[in-house]
Amino acid sequence: MSIEKPSPSRSIAASAPAAAFRIKQLAQRLEVRMLGLAILIGLCLSLLSPYFLTRPNIFNMLDQSVVIGIIAVGMTFVILTGGIDLSVGSVAGFTGILLGLSLQHMPIVPAIAAAVAAGAGIGLVSGLLINVFGLAAFVVTLGVMAIGRSLAYIASGQTAISNIPDAMQAIVYTNILGIPSNVLFLIILYIVAWAYLAFTKGGRTIYAVGSNKEAARAAGLNTLFYSVLPYVLSGALSAVAATFSISQILSADPLMGNSMELDAIAAVVIGGASLYGGRGSMLGTLFGVFIMVMIRNGLNLMGVSPFWQGSAIGTIIIVALLVERLVSSRVDQ
Amino acid sequence: MQALQAPKQPLIAMRAITKMFDRTRALAGASFELAEGEIHGLLGANGAGKSTLSKIMAGHYPFDSGEMIYRGRPLQLRSTRDALRIGIAIVMQETSLVPDLTVLENIFLPELGRPGRLDYRALKLRSEALLENLGQQGSLPLDWEVRRLSSAQKQLVEIAKALGVGAKLIIFDEPTASLSPGEVDRLFDVMTRLRAADHGLIFVSHRLEEVFSITDRVTVMREGRTVLDGLPTTQLSQAELIRAMVGTELGAIYTGSHTAKSVTDGRPVALSVRHLSSAPLVKDMSFTVHAGEILGIGGLVGAGRSEAMEAIFGLRPRTGGEVHLEGKPLSAQRPQEAIRAGLGFVAEDRRAQNIVPDLSVKENLLLAHLGAHRGFFRAYKMRERSLRELMQRLGLPQERLMDGSMLNFSGGMQQKIIIARWLLLDPKVLILDEPTKGIDIGTRASVYSMLRDIVTKGVAVVVVSSDFEELLGISDRIVVMSDGRSIADLPSAMLDEEKLTLLAAPRTSMARNTQLLEALAHEYNGAGFWALIEGDRFICLNSVVTRPLLDPGFRPGDARGVAETSIPQALRQRISIFVQEQDGSRTTLIIPMRSARGHDLGWIGLSLPPDAVLPSPEQIKSRVDSLAATL
Repeated sequence: MSIEKPSPSRSIAASAPAAAFRIKQLAQRLEVRMLGLAILIGLCLSLLSPYFLTRPNIFNMLDQSVVIGIIAVGMTFVILTGGIDLSVGSVAGFTGILLGLSLQHMPIVPAIAAAVAAGAGIGLVSGLLINVFGLAAFVVTLGVMAIGRSLAYIASGQTAISNIPDAMQAIVYTNILGIPSNVLFLIILYIVAWAYLAFTKGGRTIYAVGSNKEAARAAGLNTLFYSVLPYVLSGALSAVAATFSISQILSADPLMGNSMELDAIAAVVIGGASLYGGRGSMLGTLFGVFIMVMIRNGLNLMGVSPFWQGSAIGTIIIVALLVERLVSSRVDQ
Repeated sequence: MQALQAPKQPLIAMRAITKMFDRTRALAGASFELAEGEIHGLLGANGAGKSTLSKIMAGHYPFDSGEMIYRGRPLQLRSTRDALRIGIAIVMQETSLVPDLTVLENIFLPELGRPGRLDYRALKLRSEALLENLGQQGSLPLDWEVRRLSSAQKQLVEIAKALGVGAKLIIFDEPTASLSPGEVDRLFDVMTRLRAADHGLIFVSHRLEEVFSITDRVTVMREGRTVLDGLPTTQLSQAELIRAMVGTELGAIYTGSHTAKSVTDGRPVALSVRHLSSAPLVKDMSFTVHAGEILGIGGLVGAGRSEAMEAIFGLRPRTGGEVHLEGKPLSAQRPQEAIRAGLGFVAEDRRAQNIVPDLSVKENLLLAHLGAHRGFFRAYKMRERSLRELMQRLGLPQERLMDGSMLNFSGGMQQKIIIARWLLLDPKVLILDEPTKGIDIGTRASVYSMLRDIVTKGVAVVVVSSDFEELLGISDRIVVMSDGRSIADLPSAMLDEEKLTLLAAPRTSMARNTQLLEALAHEYNGAGFWALIEGDRFICLNSVVTRPLLDPGFRPGDARGVAETSIPQALRQRISIFVQEQDGSRTTLIIPMRSARGHDLGWIGLSLPPDAVLPSPEQIKSRVDSLAATL
């Protein structure tokens, strides 16, 4: 057998090089670099605004992370398979209206279940169109995005539904062990999603499908099922996000979730996922969500005009990705 | 007799051309000469360099050293556009057409890039004139998108496109591979017209019969060199061509042991495939492989071998036939079913079909486990021990391997990891498609020893390879596939490269010939065969035996001395009447088959019992003649 060349130099003999190697290996992990970036941004913002690192503001930011964070989970799954879901925002809007309407006629739990089922159903249709008929994910979900928003307006009669039962607030504002329930839900959701992706057949299949679908199929993996599943999940989680949003403000607005898809995609991509699929992680996405929320929060604290915020966020995203690309090519050498 | 009277001006002359790809030598001093008004056949086995040489002439890549003289002037082409400008065009299998543009736009594609307005009316008139010169007026719908055309029509567009830019030299690379017999006739008509108009045509092909029927001269390449330089086709026989392609003396063949006992005696059949078809490439594939045996699947590129394997494994829909794995029917619609039944498959394209680049080596090793596993969790633990043992057995350094990326390893190591992926599941049958493709010679040996090791564990191994030497070296038995059909199944001890080449050559006439043999053998209740006879050497191409007693003593692919067959008298005399053998066992009629151009297509024989009522030889001769006339 011939001797193969391992990729990076690997010397275990001396302890100093070993430590250097550890650090290098750590730096090769994208999540670690993203954590660094999040801390850097946090530090900058805390220098710019003394209120930034206060306890109320931190809880405020966690609260703001919930809706986008939930949607980003589904988006991570979709992007891992090499797909994209542009419909998440409008599916949240439409299922939110459905929830608002059904709360007028039925108890909370079945109403939420119905909304989540509707979201999952929409995702199933998108997933099948994309994977059975071979349509482009971008185009299918763009179409669903338009349909969802339009149905949200029609079902709501173009106005917000505001007579939501007060009991809904319990979903958001019950404290468990000093943590608000919505934040706790987010944490549990991320742990479950991470464990699913890391330790189950389905999770590993999702990575394999995104990395090389043909090889995955040839190895006997059920590529069709696990290509459709992420869209179903993404639709269902959009409805869950809508539920939390409605509980916060006790109103269902047909405009809810507008342009949310862009924030979610940005969070996932900042978190290190590849839009070609196969690469990305829940931890990375979580950092991506935090970075997005921190920037928005920080800009608000500094009193930057909302009209300038778009430019600022866009610039920061692009610069962050550019720096990441430059750093990663350096580290991978 | 070196290229005697070249009829007209030499159009192109290639001298001592060499070409390296990375570290592989594709051409090592190839030469070639083509005259105006000539159709020149360019032949060679897989990897002989004929495609490389064609592509160099067409400007696809430059040559390293040597000389290319076009119309009396030396030149080095930098691009296909260069080649087109001076009048050299290539018509390839995978067409270079733009599927979404119309026929007309495709014909004049090289002109679309020019500045200024296009005059569609003028283009239309020009293309009609072009097609008329080819005798094909009206056979192309000019305003259709090319995607809607048949492959024969696409080819015609390619030819018209070449003529549209005034090509003088046209290279046809395996042009008949995807055509029906009628379409081949039409193509040959077009080629004949081009020859009459003083174009120079190069015909690259595996098909000897077509080479005989259309070409004026033939050049044969072997291992990157020209071994037979532009001899007139009329002076050559099939046996001479094959000898040149393979490079050994024909005399050497019948020293091979006929008694070589099959190693499969007493071992159970692991996989049996009967009359498998998968449209359009796999037509009728049958073979069996036993536990503990390496079965080689030989044939030329494009014979449908990979497609047959994919159909067995469930990666490609079947259109007919049966597959049994250890006696149980296997109707795999998806690879998962095949894997769970105990089949493993290392696909041909490592990068596209096997490697998952974003997963670690460990997960790549466990990928097939994941596919076979039933359950919610990934259950890697379950394989932990066997994975460790396997890697130790294969000599794979595990601590270094596990976390790395597949892409950091050499092709040989990648291949071993992919093979190990299947071994982890203890498959009953492992199919490998071109397992040493892109692997350097040094590492090949370790892949071979890995295969031998697998076989000793009782696994049945099927290896598809285009490298005949490799196939002969590792297989116990070889099934040869040609044009989507399995046409021979022989112990490799009875085969050599020459016989393999002979068997693998796609024969336009094979299907119809087999029909005739079947008809003769059944009508007269005897044994029919088709063979080449050269001096006192005899090579069987096909045989149909209805009575065991009449077994002529050879099977398809066998090469013997005439004296070693059961019908030496008939073979020696060849006198168009039934000849009784000395031992009185049978009486045999042997009739020569000649193509319309008078080429030797071999001999058709019919053996009958000595006491049979003999049919009239003339009647059988006329049946053979009428078949030969259509070839």
